[in-house]
Amino acid sequence: MAMTDRMASENSDRGILSSAGASTYFERRRSARIRSALIWSAAALLLFWCLHVTVIADTDWERIGGRFGVLGSIGRFLLLDLSLLPHLIIPAIETMMMATLGTLLGCVLALPVAWFGARNVTPSLYFFYPVGRFLMVLSRSVHEIIWAILFVGAVGLGALPGILAVAVRSVGFISKITAEAIENIDPKPVEAIRSVGGNQFQVMYFGILPQIMPVVLGTIIFEWDINIRRAAVMGLVGAGGLGLVFFRQMAMFNYGGVTMVLLAILMLIIIGEIVSHFARKAVT
Amino acid sequence: MTSQNTSMPASQNAAPQWSRFPFPETLIRYSVLLGVLVFLAWSVHFLNLDLQRLLGAFPRLGAILADRYFPPELSFVLDHRFLNSVLNTIQMSILGGAMGVLLAIPLAWFASYNVTLHRWLVYPFGRLSIMGCRAIHETIWTILFVTIIGFGMFAGVLALTMFCIGFAGKLFSDEIEAIDMKPVEALRSTGAGPLQVFVYGVLPQVKIAFVGISIYTWDVAFRAATVVGFFGGGGMGWYLQRATYELQSTRVAAILLTIIALVSISEVVSGWLRQRLAGERLA
Amino acid sequence: MAVLEVRDLRVRYNNTGPEILRGIDFSVEGSDFCAVIGPSGAGKSTLIRCINRLVEPSGGSITLFGEEVLALNARDLRRMRRRIGMIFQEFNLVNRMSVMDNVLSGRLGYTGSFRSLFRLFPRHDIEKALEILARVGLSDHVNKRADALSGGQRQRVGIARALMQQPDLLLLDEPTSALDPKISRDVMSLIRDLAREFDVPVLCNIHDVQLATEFCNRIIGLQDGIKKFDGPTETMKKSDMELIYAMEVL
Repeated sequence: MAMTDRMASENSDRGILSSAGASTYFERRRSARIRSALIWSAAALLLFWCLHVTVIADTDWERIGGRFGVLGSIGRFLLLDLSLLPHLIIPAIETMMMATLGTLLGCVLALPVAWFGARNVTPSLYFFYPVGRFLMVLSRSVHEIIWAILFVGAVGLGALPGILAVAVRSVGFISKITAEAIENIDPKPVEAIRSVGGNQFQVMYFGILPQIMPVVLGTIIFEWDINIRRAAVMGLVGAGGLGLVFFRQMAMFNYGGVTMVLLAILMLIIIGEIVSHFARKAVT
Repeated sequence: MTSQNTSMPASQNAAPQWSRFPFPETLIRYSVLLGVLVFLAWSVHFLNLDLQRLLGAFPRLGAILADRYFPPELSFVLDHRFLNSVLNTIQMSILGGAMGVLLAIPLAWFASYNVTLHRWLVYPFGRLSIMGCRAIHETIWTILFVTIIGFGMFAGVLALTMFCIGFAGKLFSDEIEAIDMKPVEALRSTGAGPLQVFVYGVLPQVKIAFVGISIYTWDVAFRAATVVGFFGGGGMGWYLQRATYELQSTRVAAILLTIIALVSISEVVSGWLRQRLAGERLA
Repeated sequence: MAVLEVRDLRVRYNNTGPEILRGIDFSVEGSDFCAVIGPSGAGKSTLIRCINRLVEPSGGSITLFGEEVLALNARDLRRMRRRIGMIFQEFNLVNRMSVMDNVLSGRLGYTGSFRSLFRLFPRHDIEKALEILARVGLSDHVNKRADALSGGQRQRVGIARALMQQPDLLLLDEPTSALDPKISRDVMSLIRDLAREFDVPVLCNIHDVQLATEFCNRIIGLQDGIKKFDGPTETMKKSDMELIYAMEVL
C-alpha cells in the first residue's frame, strides 16, 4: 500500500521535473538505496549470527518448555509474600544510606580527579592530566559488582565495601562532567577577578566555582539517583542492604519474597526520582 | 558568625540595608543543610562505619592488589575457551542492545508527554515500564531470568535487553520531549494519525540523536555484559565468578585487565562513531 | 608627575607571531580622561590589558605610581592590581552571583582567603557597596542576580565593582560597545562624573570617535600597534583622523 503510494508520487514527480534532472535524481536515489540496503542486510546478518550463537544454540529449550514452562516460572513470582514487609524497612534504609554516603564519598574523590583531568587547570599537562583521564576511564570501565568484590576482599563484609564500590564507580562520571564544565567556563569573570587583585584561591572560588556549580550539582543528583539502584545490588556480593535480602529469598526459593524485594527497590527508586526532581529544581 | 549576622544599628535605618543572611530564606536553607548533615551522621552511625577502616581501604586495596593479584595470569586469558567467551560477551551485548533499542523506541514514544498516544493511559504505562526496567539492576534481571529459563546466554541477553530498554528509553523520551513541535502540529493539522505523526514528524527530528544514543547504549550494555555471567548469564563473567570463588586471584586480575582493556576499546569505538555522527549532523 | 608612564611597550602573543604593539610611548597625568582610539585590531585592548598585566608584554617598561609594573612578583602585582579599577566591554560579571556579591568582589584584593571562603566582607565594605550602588542608581537591584539585569544596568554593576576598589587609576576596555547609543552616552557621562568625584585618572579604550571627543580630554590614536597621534582632544584634526583610520578608509 505504502509502496504503491510512493511509486505513484514518483511518477507524478517525473512529469514535473525536466527529464535530465529527474534521471540524475533517480540515479542518486537508487545508489543511496542500494547502499542502505547493503548496510541493513549486513546488520541483520550480524544480529542473526549473534542470535544463533547466544540464544538458539546455547539454550536448553527442553528445560524451559518441558517441566516448568515459562508461564509457570513467572507465576511463582506473583504470589506476594507480605510477611516479609517488616523485614524490608531496615535494609531499604540501609540501601538509601549506602547510596547517599557513596555518592558523597564519590564527590570527594572526584574533586582531585576533575582537577587533574581538566586541561586548563591541571597542574601538569604531561603527568597529572593523563593520570586524571586514566582514573576516569578506570572508574567507569570496571562494573560496580567487580568493585564491590575487590573491596569486600580489602575491608571485609558489611556496608563499607558497598559504599566504597558505589563511590569509586561514581568518580568517573562526576569528574568527567566536572572537568568538561571547567574546560568550558567563560574566561571573562575570571579575568575580572584577576584584575581586582584576587589571589589564586579567590579566582577559583569567585570566578570558576559559580559557573560550574549548577552543572556539577545536577550531575551529583543524577548520579545519586543511579547509585540507589547500584546500592540495591551490593548485597549480592556481601555488602548488605536490599541486595542481601534478595539473595537470601532467592536462596530459600521464596519467589514471592523476591518480588517483594523488587517492589521495595522500585519504591526507593521512585522516592529517589521525586527527591532528585525537586533538588534539581532548587539548584538551577 | 560575625558582626554581619546581627542587624545594622537603628541609626542607619534611613540608609538602604543589606544582609547576607535575609531572615526566612537563610533559616530554611540552613535547616535543610542541617537535616542532610544529621542524616549523613546518622547513616555513619547506623551502618556502624569505622572511619579508620574507610581511610585504610585504599592503601589496603593497593597492598592486596600488589600482593595477591600480581602477576596477572595472562596465559589464562589467551586460552581459546576464554577468548570464545569474550566473543560471546560481545555478541550478547550487540543482541541485547539491538533488542533493547528496538523495544525502547515505541516505549519512549508512549512515554513522551508531548506526542504520546493517550496522556492518561498510555503515557503512565510507557513511563512505568521504562522506569521499572531502569530501577532493577542488570544483575537482578540476570538472576530473575536465570531462575525462569535456566543458566546460559539467553538469560543474559534478556537481562541486557531489559537494561537497555530502561537506559535507552529514558534518553529517547528525553530527546522526543525536546523536539520542535511545529512540524508535529503541521502534520496533525493535515489530519495525520498518531503513528503517521510519529513516523513523519518526530522520527526525522530525532533520528541522528537516536543513532548516537543507540551506540552509547551498546557501549554501556557491553560493560554490563561483562558481569551478567557472574550470576549465570553467560559470557566472560562466568570465568570471573569461578576464579573469584576459587580464590585464584592472579586469574581474576588477568580477567579484570581484559575487561578494562575491552571496555576502553569499546569506549573509543563508540566515541569515534558518535563523533563521526556529530560531524554528519553538522554537514 | 605622571601617574602612568609607558615606554617602548612591545607585545607579541607567541614567540614567532607578529608584534601586536610595536613600541608605544605615552604617559597619563593625574587629571586625565584619556581615550585610546583606533581601528579594530590596532592593539587597543592589548594595550589596556598590559597596564595591569592581564597580558604579559614582551618588552618595554610601564611605570605606575612610581613603581615598575613589569618587575613586580605575583604578590606585589596583586597589590598593584587592587589599586587599578577595570571596566570591561562585556561587563565580566559573575552571572550567577548577586549584584551585591559582584560589587563586593571588587574588595577581594583586600580580603583574605578565609574570609572570602564564607564571603564575609567587613561591614564598612558592605556599607560602601550600598553607597556606591545608590550612586550608580541600582539600589533596587541589590539582591538580584547579575544575569537578571539589562545591559546598561550590568555595566553599572561593573562600574560599581571598579569603584569599590577605591582605585587610583581606572582602565576602561570598550565600556560601551556592547550597549546601544543612548545608554552608551549615559554610561560614559556617569563614568566621567564619577572619575571627577573620586579624582581618579582614566585610560579608556574606545572605538567610537564621537564618544571619545565628547567625553575625553586627551586622545591617543593607535594604528597597527603604532602610536599615530597623541594630544588634547581640541588639537585633533581631520587629517589626524585619516591617519589613524587609514586602513579602514582604504
